[in-house]
Amino acid sequence: MASPCEVLLETEDLDRARSAGRAAADEAWRIEAKFSRYRRDSVVSTINASNGRPVEVDAETAALIDFAAHCHRLSDGRFDITSGVLRRCWRFDGSDRLPTAAAIDAVRPFIGFDKIGWDAPVITVPTGMELDFGGIGKEYAVDRALAAVTASSSESALVNFGGDLAATRAPAGGPWRVGIERPGTEREAALLLELEQGALATSGDTHRYLLRAGVRYGHIMDVHTGWPVVGAPRSVTVAAGACIEAGMLATFAMLSGAGAEAFLDQQGVRYWCLRG
Amino acid sequence: MQLKKPPTPLRLGLMAASCALLGSPAAKAQTAADGEQPLLIDAGVLYYKEDQGRVQTIEPIVRFKKDYGDEHVLGVTLAFDSLTGGSPNGAIPSRKAQTFATPSGTSLQPVSGVPQTYTTPSGQVVAALAKVTLYSVQPALLPLDPNFHDRRIAADVSWAQPVATDTHASIAGHLSNELDFDSAAFNAALSHDFNGKNTTVSAGVNGELDAVKPIGGAPVGGSDYTQLLKNGSKSKDVVGGLLGVTQVMSRRWVAQLNYTYDKSNGYLTDPYKIVSVVDGTGTETGYRFESRPDKRTRQSLYFGNKAYVGGEVLDISYRRSKDDWGIKSDTVDGRLRIDLGNDIYLEPHARWYHQGAADFYHLYLNQSDALPAYLSADPRLADFKATTFGAKFGVGFGGNTELSLRIEQYQQKPTDTTSSLAALQGLNLNPGLKTVIVQLGWRYDY
Repeated sequence: MASPCEVLLETEDLDRARSAGRAAADEAWRIEAKFSRYRRDSVVSTINASNGRPVEVDAETAALIDFAAHCHRLSDGRFDITSGVLRRCWRFDGSDRLPTAAAIDAVRPFIGFDKIGWDAPVITVPTGMELDFGGIGKEYAVDRALAAVTASSSESALVNFGGDLAATRAPAGGPWRVGIERPGTEREAALLLELEQGALATSGDTHRYLLRAGVRYGHIMDVHTGWPVVGAPRSVTVAAGACIEAGMLATFAMLSGAGAEAFLDQQGVRYWCLRG
Repeated sequence: MQLKKPPTPLRLGLMAASCALLGSPAAKAQTAADGEQPLLIDAGVLYYKEDQGRVQTIEPIVRFKKDYGDEHVLGVTLAFDSLTGGSPNGAIPSRKAQTFATPSGTSLQPVSGVPQTYTTPSGQVVAALAKVTLYSVQPALLPLDPNFHDRRIAADVSWAQPVATDTHASIAGHLSNELDFDSAAFNAALSHDFNGKNTTVSAGVNGELDAVKPIGGAPVGGSDYTQLLKNGSKSKDVVGGLLGVTQVMSRRWVAQLNYTYDKSNGYLTDPYKIVSVVDGTGTETGYRFESRPDKRTRQSLYFGNKAYVGGEVLDISYRRSKDDWGIKSDTVDGRLRIDLGNDIYLEPHARWYHQGAADFYHLYLNQSDALPAYLSADPRLADFKATTFGAKFGVGFGGNTELSLRIEQYQQKPTDTTSSLAALQGLNLNPGLKTVIVQLGWRYDY
């Protein structure tokens, strides 16, 4: 998952704590192995190497593709799991190296979820296109790991994968306390939130951006232009029932650019936006 | 920031999509599929019965399969069976009663103090060893050795695992023991997936070493039956290989093409089979022990298909084999798995088989002809057609238990069954075979 992962569990039983930690870790590794595009043997790599041939996927992958399809529709096409090919020209390494317009135009034909053939459980990804569950995977893993931890118990538990987290209920001593990093810093909480239960997810460019001529280009991409969304907050944190839902609301907010706060107000969710 | 207001359509849509995603049970099933799997036990009892009081067997079999995760799979199979009944000894029916000795005899030559005598087909009366048990066959009936019995115990162990990206290896060993036969075998195979796992090529090698310990000793091939010339135990070995390609042809069709080659060396004769020798009228004048070449090379080409047709799974295959004994065979096999709902399925099965006779197959030998180097009257080496019809019925209980019942009938129809010789006219010299197979299976996934 490329970020620190932790499980907090209210228990006095060390074995139980170990088994909970293991259950969460197993689930995280399982999802990573299955959906990471960096792993050659993952389902996603198999789909991406299909060269336009139909691939039959298992039920879990089908459910994730369905979810991505819903999000594509709900966001009017702004959220798109085929947009990962833009990585071929954009490298958010903190430098000032922007791609050329020609480089962006070269990959744009390979973007668009509507070009994907999806007739569950069979997906057909045209040659040159790719799926990337990076925008969903971590939040999905948080929800699944929490379910794995609490499958056999009713303790108060919280699973935190690099700032995306979900909790069953508050421990006896009061709500969970969650710090949100100040953009551009590490380990310095800009906000301290209290969470009874539910999930928090954060979308932001804290670590992934380009800076050129004073303009900051975050890694949230506008699939219609092939350029990063402009005017988006540095970071958006949203509270919702499930981590996957919170994460998607945060992503949608970032995709709204300058309208992020207005979008979140309209949704009636608790959120924290950090700018500047 | 407003907190109390009805959810927007987008929010509702997102909630619904999240619930659908997290509520899907698939992830759990997938957890099991990737990680260590519980033990799978597959047990069954096979009942096999040939018509007219021939061989019957009951075979309990238990299979264990354990998946240690990441496609590391251990398989263990244990089988035990016990055969009883009559087995054709190779001689043809006759107009008169025929007498034979069970294979336990070592010689029919006179030995002092021996209580039994034996009249050879040529009318010679000889004393037999006490160990010899004689049996008579009524006129016009196919000679069956009624004392045929055997028991077999067999164990198989296999291991399969990935060895590199998209490459899997497997090894397996086999040991079995019968009253008169011990066998040890192994095979090893490698397979590699290409093309986004749409194409798999595989290659394998196999070997087998057998000890043949015929009861009463291995007869001298082609020798006169009444001499009971036997000389101890024999052995044989088999080496072979396989090359195969499996291709996903479309979303609903997977095809497989396999080529196999194997070469047997050693004692390939059936020590219990004899060949009738007749004179110009068709009257028995004696019998000869059969004799087969000590080498056999077999090749076969298999084309298998699994297709999803109209909601059901069709499995249809064709196999062409030939060997250097002159046997050529064709097999067409088809199964259709029909899902009846509620975890119940029905799987009708039909198979058609045809083979040509071995070069040295003779229904009987003419006394006036020179004794051929190789000879056998084993019905399994004759030219025949065979059909199998049956069905399997399975019921699943609670997702991890399945009970199944398979009932099949097999019928073998030889092509060459009559003779124009006077004494043999009207006799069916190779009446073929009908068998019933019933298999009860139980499968449990812990």
